[in-house]
Amino acid sequence: MYFLNEQQIDFILGDINARGVRLESLQYDLLDHICVIIEQKLEKEEDFEPCYEATIKSFYRQELREIEDETRFLLARRNRLTLSRSQFFLLLFTIFIGPFVSYDLAWLVTSGPEAGWNIPLQVWAPTVVYSLFPLLILLVLLLTPERLDPLIPAKSKVLLGIRPFIKIIPRYSRVKLDR
Amino acid sequence: MNYSTELVKGTLKTIILKLLVDNKKMYGYEITQKVKELTLDRIQITEGALYPTLHALEADKLVTTETEYIGKRIRKYYSLSPSGKAQAREKVKELASFMDTMIALLDIKPKLT
Repeated sequence: MYFLNEQQIDFILGDINARGVRLESLQYDLLDHICVIIEQKLEKEEDFEPCYEATIKSFYRQELREIEDETRFLLARRNRLTLSRSQFFLLLFTIFIGPFVSYDLAWLVTSGPEAGWNIPLQVWAPTVVYSLFPLLILLVLLLTPERLDPLIPAKSKVLLGIRPFIKIIPRYSRVKLDR
Repeated sequence: MNYSTELVKGTLKTIILKLLVDNKKMYGYEITQKVKELTLDRIQITEGALYPTLHALEADKLVTTETEYIGKRIRKYYSLSPSGKAQAREKVKELASFMDTMIALLDIKPKLT
């Protein structure tokens, strides 16, 4: 049975860390897993470095930290409501703009056709004035391009719960884990 | 035939819990190999799916861990907590019932062998 020496183990652990895996417990899991595979492969007289490169690549699709992202996501998701980015914006829209629209609709329904179906200025104007500011904020949040490091990046998930009330998990890599 | 990722992903927690019922304590690599062996290579659990699930199970206190030094590295063994054992029974029962429902729904005739 081939056993990796301490230098090789340190090298692997350092590389796992350098690839963005910061959770210590996960680092040890991955280290042991990789070591077992490599020790089996090296029995067939392969060189350590190419063998390690091939093994580590088989653990991810794009980068190793996908595993950490997924772990953090699953840990953060416990006892929380998970929303996609678009669901979150729909919720914000409903909370901040919804009341204005509802008020106008309610006015329309209660006023009836005899008062004319056109929403008069006294209803329209406050709607535009009061909903404009939250609407602009929502649009900025929604449309900020990726290169400007948006608060809620594309493909991120939003978790609602207690402490913190809102937690944004940026672009995690669940699909990529499927390999 | 390898099964689609969606199918495996939806049942991964149940698979892990049931394996830990049968094998008392296991480490990550051992779990992947056991699944391959039991399913004749038809289900291969990726490391990227396994470890996040194990850590989530640990955070939910369904599994407990103990560590062992293998030379300089640490090996983490996972085993079921009392609540994990109850959850395993529940999950297996739920999956069995789901499979019965799918058999009826899709009009699949069970094979005798």
